[in-house]
Amino acid sequence: MSAETETSSRVATRTYKPAMRAGWWLRKGHYFWYMVREFTALPLALWLLWLLYEIQRAGRGPSGYYPPSSTPFVVFSVICLVFALYHSITFLRLAGVILHFKVMDKPVPSGLVVASQFGAWLVASIVIGAVLIGFGR
Amino acid sequence: MSAKPKAVQKPALAHLFWWFMFSQGGLFAAVLLPVHIVVQGILGPLGIVPVVDRHYDTWISILGNPIVKLYLFVLISLPFFHFAHRLRYLLVDLGVPAAKTVPAQVVFYGAAVVVTVLSIYVLLPTAPISLG
Repeated sequence: MSAETETSSRVATRTYKPAMRAGWWLRKGHYFWYMVREFTALPLALWLLWLLYEIQRAGRGPSGYYPPSSTPFVVFSVICLVFALYHSITFLRLAGVILHFKVMDKPVPSGLVVASQFGAWLVASIVIGAVLIGFGR
Repeated sequence: MSAKPKAVQKPALAHLFWWFMFSQGGLFAAVLLPVHIVVQGILGPLGIVPVVDRHYDTWISILGNPIVKLYLFVLISLPFFHFAHRLRYLLVDLGVPAAKTVPAQVVFYGAAVVVTVLSIYVLLPTAPISLG
């Protein structure tokens, strides 16, 4: 009896420490990919900042502008693209979980919602790609 | 009828705002960004296709279009509100609980606001919109 009260009082005064050790996300594939999904923000942010810099350079006039052509830049873009695709796929797939519609009192299947998101991605990519390439020379 | 609750429920407008920015920023990055990286970051520099930013004259003329300006403004600024939230929680998950505090929120979402202001600062004077 006394031992029991001693234990419970000791438990009550102990402060809670989260049991998440460093590197917890390396223990399971699921955790790892979750962290990768959060990490995608960093390369995407860097690429957008580069795009802003590319716009800023155009303001320096024709003599100061040169297009990016270096191999490191292409490598940087390829790495960013991998993370961008991972962000797109994971983010657009979420729509099937989040969005719930009813048409004629029947719920729209989540697969159809996801398909519409990927369809919008495809159409937007074609339109933007056509503008970026079509206005070039 | 007499037991009407006195407490007035206030809508969490700030919460609504930041969640809206997070989700829309994520959506814009997901739908718009990959094609920009493919065309401007890979195909253009490799010389596979002509791209609008490969020459000064084509790049500056499309930057003068007000719709393009507005598009680039949204494309560049909005995702940062998504990134700010993701990177803040990346820090939390890596074992930095300080990233949950209000000062950390001010730093991260403040950075997104800074990028927003910076993109206006860059986009407006570059190839200024001329009327007529």
